[in-house]
This record gives sequence, structure tokens and C-alpha cells, in this order.
Amino acid sequence: MKEKLVSLEDALAPVTSGSTIAIGGSLLRRQPNAAIRSLIRRGVTDLTVQTWAATTATDMLAAAGALRRYEGIYTGMFSYGLAPNFRRAVESGAIEVRDFSETAMVARFRAATQGLAFLPIKTLLGSDIANKNPEQFRPFSCPFTGEKLQAVAAATSDFTIIHGYAGDKYGNVQWPVVRDSDDIDQMIASAGKRVIVTVEKIIPHEEVKKRPTLTYIPGNWVEAIVEVPYGAHPVSVDAMYDEDDAHLTDYLERSRSAEGAAAYLDEYARAIPSHSAYIAKVGGLAALNRLDVQPNELNHV
Amino acid sequence: MSENKIVSVADAPATTNELVTAVIAREIRDGDLAFVGVGTNGRAFTLAVGIPLTAVRLAQMLHAPSAAVYWGNLLEPDLSNVPADLKQDSFTRWQAASSPSDTGVKCDMLARRAFDVCFDSAAQVDRFGNLNITAIGDYRKPKVRLVGCLAQPEHFAFVPRPIVVVDLDRRVFVEKVDFITSVGHLHGGRSREEAGLKPGGPHLVVTDKAIFDFEPESKLMRVRSLHPGVTLEEVLDRLSFRPVVPDSIPTTPLPTDRELDLIRRVIDPNRVLLRV
Repeated sequence: MKEKLVSLEDALAPVTSGSTIAIGGSLLRRQPNAAIRSLIRRGVTDLTVQTWAATTATDMLAAAGALRRYEGIYTGMFSYGLAPNFRRAVESGAIEVRDFSETAMVARFRAATQGLAFLPIKTLLGSDIANKNPEQFRPFSCPFTGEKLQAVAAATSDFTIIHGYAGDKYGNVQWPVVRDSDDIDQMIASAGKRVIVTVEKIIPHEEVKKRPTLTYIPGNWVEAIVEVPYGAHPVSVDAMYDEDDAHLTDYLERSRSAEGAAAYLDEYARAIPSHSAYIAKVGGLAALNRLDVQPNELNHV
Repeated sequence: MSENKIVSVADAPATTNELVTAVIAREIRDGDLAFVGVGTNGRAFTLAVGIPLTAVRLAQMLHAPSAAVYWGNLLEPDLSNVPADLKQDSFTRWQAASSPSDTGVKCDMLARRAFDVCFDSAAQVDRFGNLNITAIGDYRKPKVRLVGCLAQPEHFAFVPRPIVVVDLDRRVFVEKVDFITSVGHLHGGRSREEAGLKPGGPHLVVTDKAIFDFEPESKLMRVRSLHPGVTLEEVLDRLSFRPVVPDSIPTTPLPTDRELDLIRRVIDPNRVLLRV
């Protein structure tokens, strides 16, 4: 097996302006925020993103002016309301938006996984989601039954960025037994060409191979793995730590204006040389440990 | 429902939330699989999560013991022990019969019509029951960009009896939605079927003032009942279109003492689900 453990900066170095990136996580869970801050710090821009239920990662990219195009099922801040920077950018016409419902986005990632140009769905007949996007939705008739179907284009991307729970130096990423499974990170990873994974902690391969069914992203699919504790902060990693309510509230307060959001990014992304400096900036591990949840005795990662 | 006003003079008067919860519970049939979304917080949580979960649990206890819920990515969560707060870890620890490996499993079940009932709310609802949760104004440069769509189009395409739960408001109940996220009865009549969708579309629209259904032929929204003490004028005032108004409109039936007792003492004793 090839060792793939690298620094955050080295892992993300191939991601350049103009790339299409698929981003993992769902709602306030496992957004790859450390990686996104690193891209913003480097000034990567003109990105197309493909997402599931997006919150902070996509909203910070919008605040940085780094989003050219968005394709996903949802962008908001879950219990905190709408995503202020994404909303402002879309309302100003600065981001090309293409919405996809859940079966449509699942079909898109599965098509990419299978090396197909499209998969059929029948969800969006009559919906403006399909009507306003004739490039990525094409009507056709089922060759067996003649029923009306819609071909939805595969979600092919240049890079896939996912934040996971724990993994080994070979890039095998494991999930805990008791977790919140309301996402499609495994499917997004399976569709990826160049998969970059950040994890909360690196664990010994000896531990991983005792429980191979818990490996949801095989190292075989992975280009680089990076250890970034609290890498989803200020959102949560289910079974590990909760969302940081005070930080999210501050982020939203400052995001009421574009200038406020820019100042936030200057402070927490651009002026910060590394993820460890970010941890120090938000109060160090002592402060972040307070977000930790009680370990579940059924979990080992 | 924000004022949660009292609609009965019994010794334990029913709130509007309790009134509509009982109405929805009576719509749940034994064996139904109901989809409940994850909601947000405050009033939106009550509408999207609190009322639906309480209603399905009430139905389970009274007449539909094998009714089941799919919530988030939990299939048959333990409704006798719902999370006490909305922090991530409380959701992570909520016990359930199954938590499929990813949300694609839920999507597949939706597409093959495994669900019977679902609950939805929206920023705009029109007279044919189409919903908009994507954008107000021009889609390409909207006045207000909303969240997108999630699986709401799937609910309306594939679930036979969707129930819309939303407060009555002129800005929400519009003649025509700015963007059809989720196809209800489309342009009325047979237009939904002609677009290729199976029969279905929204079954009921449950609000804080009245309950609506859809006239079988025209598929126009129709007043089904008025909540106790609410006048027709008050309801029409809060709509931007004129619904079908039958000659006689019944009053929404009050919860029974048994229903109220179960809601208050057994299902939601800490007022987490029907708080606001």
C-alpha cells in the first residue's frame, strides 16, 4: 500500500483556480472547512462546486468570491437560517446556480461512479429545476415501457474534498458504528477522480484492518489524506464534537455585510498560515475540547 | 399559530397546534410510512418536525399501531423517546430500528413509491398546490435566494398523500409560485398526469386558520374546514387567490380528551415538539 499522508497544503496544491470540486458533508456535519479555508488563503477562485446539503464550506467560498458555479441540493445554515454570503452572491447574479433534487444528485454521483454520462430519473417532470436547466436534464422515453424519463448528467469533477472521522496513513477512512448517516459522502468519494480526504485523526492501519467493513472510503480511491483535528469547525463531526454555536453566531452576524464577511475571512482564513494556527486563533484545543461529545462505548473511531 | 390561541373552553383547552396535530393524526392509516424532514428551529421546527412527529405518534397510539416514520436518515426512530434538544449529538444518539448507510437509500425508497405520507412546508404555495423553496423573483437573479430543493420534489412526485403544514399568510399563499420546485397539481385538471407524473400531489394543506384540500376535477385549493372561531373572511384575507369555497364549511373538529391527554402527558410532556 502506498503512504498518502501529507500536509493540508500539499494535499490541496493540485487544486487550482477554475477547478470543479465535489464537496462532502451535510448540513452542520463534516463540512471540510479546514480545507476550504486553505483554498481561500491561497486565493484559489473561479470554482465550480458540487454539493449535497451545503452550509459553511460553500458559504465561505461564496464570501471569498471564489464560486463561479454551484450545483447542489441545498445551501443554507440549517437551524441558523439562510446562507448569507451564498444568498448575497446569488442575488447579485455573481454565481451560476443549478439546483438538483436529492434523487437527481444521487443519480449524478452514481453515474460518475459507473463511468456513465447520465442516469435516468423521473422526479422533476414539470419542475422548474429541470425546465431551467436543459443542458443537464434531457427528456427521453424509456426504451422498455415508453414512460417519460429525464436523463440527468453525471457529476464529474476534477477533485473531491471530504472531511472524515478517522483514517490510516494509506488513506483508508473509517466511520464509527454509531453516527449520523444522513449524507452521501461515500457515494461522493466513489464518484471522484482525485479524492482528497481530511480526517479528525490518523489511526494505526492495524486497527483499521481488524474492522474493514467500517472503511467507507477505501485508500484505493484516495490521492491524499491529511490529519486536521477539528477540521469541520465551526460545524460538527457527529459522534466526536458538536457545532460551535458562539462561532457560528459570530460568523452570521459578521456576514450581514460583504465587508464583515471579508473581514471574517481575513481573520480566520487569509491571515492564518495553517490549520494549527487556526486552532490557536479560536482558543486552542482547550477551547475546542469543550465541544467534544461523550464518547459512545460502541464506537472505536 | 404563533399566538397558539385557545380554541376550546373545556377544562383543558386545546391550542391550535394540538388541534391540527389531531387532524393530521386522523389522516394517518395503519401501515403508513411517513416521511418527516429534519426542520430547522423555532416555528419552522414546529411546522416541519414537531406537529408531524406528534401526529404520527398519536396515530400509532390510537388507531395505526404499525404506522412508521422515516426521519432524517433514521427509519423507524424511537418516537417514545425523542431528542430533548436540537444539538447534533442528540440527533446522533437518537435510537432507531435502522439508519441506512447513506441517504441514497431513502431516495431510492421515495422513487419506488415506498412512502404513503410526507410533510412539507414552503415559502410559496399556489392555488394548485405547487411549492417554491428555491427562489423568489427571477431564478437567475432572484430577489430572495432560498435553500434550493432537498427532497421536496421527490415527496410531491412519488408520495401519494403529501400534507403541507404552513401558517396562513398572503405572501405564502400566492396565485402562482415564482418557481415550481415541487410539482403539486401543476396547472390543474389533468396537467400533472400529462407531465408524466403519477396521480398524487398535495392531499391536504394544514394551516393555523383552516384546513384545505383540492377539488377533485379542477385541482384548485378548496376550503375543507375552518378552525373554531375563525371566519371565512379572515381566511380569504390571508390568501392572494380565491380558493374554492363550498356552500357549507364545517368547523375543524376539536381534539378529543383522550387525544389531548396523550399529546400532553405522554408524547410531548416537556413541550419540545409543540413549543411555539
